[in-house]
Amino acid sequence: MTTPPHHIVELRDVEKVFEAKKVLDGVSLKVNPLERLVIMGQSGSGKSTILRLILGILYPDAGTAFFKQFEIPRLTRRKLQQVRRQVGMVYQYSALLSSRTVRENVALPLEELTDNSNEEIDRIVDEKLEMVGMKDSKDLLPSELSGGMRKRVSLARALVMDPELILFDEPTAGLDPVISSVIDELIINLTEKQKVTSIIVTHEMASAFRVGTRMAMLYHGKIIEDASAEEFKNSKNPVVRQFLSGSTEGPILEGTQDAIATK
Amino acid sequence: MANAQADRRNASETIAELAFGEGGRDFLAQLGSIFWFTVDTFSETWDNVRQGRRPFRAASFFRSAQRAGVDSVPLVGLVSFFLGLTMALLTGYQLQKFGTERLIPGLVSIAFTRELGPLITGIMLAARIGAAFTAELGSMKVNEEVEAIDAMGVGPLRFLVAPRVLALFFLMPCLSTVANLAAIFASSLICYAYFSIAWVYFLDLVKDALLIRDIITGVLKSFMFGLLIASIACYRGLSVKGGASGVGTATTSSVVTAITTVIGFDTVYNVVYVIFFP
Repeated sequence: MTTPPHHIVELRDVEKVFEAKKVLDGVSLKVNPLERLVIMGQSGSGKSTILRLILGILYPDAGTAFFKQFEIPRLTRRKLQQVRRQVGMVYQYSALLSSRTVRENVALPLEELTDNSNEEIDRIVDEKLEMVGMKDSKDLLPSELSGGMRKRVSLARALVMDPELILFDEPTAGLDPVISSVIDELIINLTEKQKVTSIIVTHEMASAFRVGTRMAMLYHGKIIEDASAEEFKNSKNPVVRQFLSGSTEGPILEGTQDAIATK
Repeated sequence: MANAQADRRNASETIAELAFGEGGRDFLAQLGSIFWFTVDTFSETWDNVRQGRRPFRAASFFRSAQRAGVDSVPLVGLVSFFLGLTMALLTGYQLQKFGTERLIPGLVSIAFTRELGPLITGIMLAARIGAAFTAELGSMKVNEEVEAIDAMGVGPLRFLVAPRVLALFFLMPCLSTVANLAAIFASSLICYAYFSIAWVYFLDLVKDALLIRDIITGVLKSFMFGLLIASIACYRGLSVKGGASGVGTATTSSVVTAITTVIGFDTVYNVVYVIFFP
């Protein structure tokens, strides 16, 4: 029925409802290969939901999502698992397995999904940990790492299967500005070196403009602006303008409890 | 037309409520979910086997087996030992009035192999291991670890649930055998000390009384208890919602559900068994 798109990811008129609240209301989005798309929006605006739709962890209530030629909501479980191997995800809170060491965490996808020998797995794990600068912490548990270090391990784990697409959920939230920049640099370097497309969800402006080659703004369940970083900065859209300036005056708070509080 | 359909649905809902009450309906719904959860676990694991890959790593199976099985031996053995002592003592004094103390060995061994061994082991493992499984999987779920595993394309049911369920499934009969032996040994001590039944005579009496059938019933039952407890515990763990308190609630409800289901299933099993093999 629907022809496969030429983009690496495509969302078509996706709607998603959570307990009578329409979080996504007709979102359409195309991601070209080797792009770094930043999706911005307020907290709770459905940014992370978009990532989960692409991974097939959530299903859209209307519309559909493609990864390459695969229509995610229609895949069987086995096919979906195969598709997920080509996608890496870096979670906001890293989501490392707390009872396994850094090495075991990074090795997990290889151990479970490939037939590589132990030496091979060790080699790949070392290589990826080296890339993110975490080789010395191999035998530590996630609880012994700082937030920034966990993010790096999480990134190494996402890279370990050599994915074509990496999804970042708030990669710099809760990190200090310097570490944030380090993580941003890592994202840029790795995606360029490894030829990976990435989708980054964030609401931190500095970070967004550092990493993004394209920006999309999600507001009230719709993509209200979708442009290159330069065009986005000069957008005339009042919502985008308010979001960029961080002002309390403007359409975003209109009629909400917060707007009344500021008066 | 639409009205008639709505009426009919209301009618059937009312009947369901009359028959089981709302709590009963919820309970049946839960039971259904747990059943499908177990089926999903096996089909996901089987999928992997069909692709020519091992279902899960042997190490994770043995880790669960170690925790659930080997580490439970002292507890199960000790509790059954005490129960065996008590049972031999109490029944002994009653039987003594009729001069039939020599029935004690048979009584204790049949009661334990058929019924009490598996049941006591089931209840203890539900509390000891069921709670651990639920809490463990529950906190993994809360920390998004389960979702991360799913997102990698590693099936969480196969990776997390299957080794645990299989470990308990295979170790439950072993543990209830330990329970049976401990109880029979305890009753032999009582028989020797209070009722002057020598070891050799005791063994003869046990062998006379026990039928292969009793042993098979008990073992079959234990397999099913293991499956039930592990499935309920893992299901509860993976359906945790809402942070630390959610893990607490799930753990409590896992233990309660597992114990109730084990006892309920035991009753049904006995009824069916008595009807078909009188």
